[in-house]
Amino acid sequence: MKSLLLSTFVACGALMSPAFAAEGERISVKGEIIDTWCYFSGVMGGPDAVIGSAHHTCALWCSAGGIPVGLLAEDGTVYMVMKIEDSSDSASGDTQLRLASHVIEADGMLYKRDGLNYLVVEEVVTDLDIQVRNAEDFGTVPPFAIPKADR
Amino acid sequence: MKKTLALIAALVAAPVSLMAQDFSQGSQAKSWNLYGEVPAIFDAKVVDILCELTGDCPDNCGDGNRQLGLVRTDDDVLIFPNKNSQTGFQGASADLLPHCASTIGVDGMLIEDPDIGAQNIYLLQLIRPAGSDEWIKANTWSKRWAEKHPEAAGKGPWFRRDPRVKAEIEREGYFGLGLEEDKAIKAIVFE
Repeated sequence: MKSLLLSTFVACGALMSPAFAAEGERISVKGEIIDTWCYFSGVMGGPDAVIGSAHHTCALWCSAGGIPVGLLAEDGTVYMVMKIEDSSDSASGDTQLRLASHVIEADGMLYKRDGLNYLVVEEVVTDLDIQVRNAEDFGTVPPFAIPKADR
Repeated sequence: MKKTLALIAALVAAPVSLMAQDFSQGSQAKSWNLYGEVPAIFDAKVVDILCELTGDCPDNCGDGNRQLGLVRTDDDVLIFPNKNSQTGFQGASADLLPHCASTIGVDGMLIEDPDIGAQNIYLLQLIRPAGSDEWIKANTWSKRWAEKHPEAAGKGPWFRRDPRVKAEIEREGYFGLGLEEDKAIKAIVFE
């Protein structure tokens, strides 16, 4: 019985330990580079409105402003992007900014912790540019994205 | 035997009870009227998230270039601060960087929306530095940006003046599809 108790304790400890939670898994995933704050908070509208061409300018602002970028996969899973190839500048980095709203095919390592998926992109296999063309449906999100003088 | 089984059950149930902990008591966080927002005040260690996950750990949490996280003292849960307290488009790393590797108090809103995968996402509003009783606002991003971009000084919000954002829009347009398509979409949207 002591050995059963000990092994149960060890198993529970392993489940709770950060080292277990942070064990990586190699994956390939395709999806759009999104602004996670607008997506998760709903501050600008529903999930369909805060992706693609309608939300592109806002995605640039948020990426430049250091809001974390994510990869929204085709099945709806969001991966928090912590590194893209050689760039670990996940707060306002040039690579993250350049890829705003683009759909990419990526190979990398997935780390799961406390309900979030974290992605370290080792290679952007394909950059498919902006694929979601939703500006005709939603206009600009937010509405003030384009200054009146530029409309 | 009964005692042993009870102990095993308690061990298995422990993470579940920790997850259900209420961190809202005593919070002074202001509502942003967001779906899924829950006030949350807690102590946490400021960490470089990439370092925490992979062991890739540069000095000073990446010196402001990386996303910083909060490992909550009570349960070791990694919280991801996506946003600081300023209205607009600013993250929280600039506010957390001075506290790299320290345990601080934080107050803000957790965003929980399981339908879209939001869990342990945080709107950081206030920070109580280690060893202090004073709460300070998490609102320093714009000041850091202005120091970094003196050439972009001027009227209006920073995001209209940011050199990299302006360059992207000049190259690809506001919708990111090229200047010709930009013009065509604007004609439809603003007709």
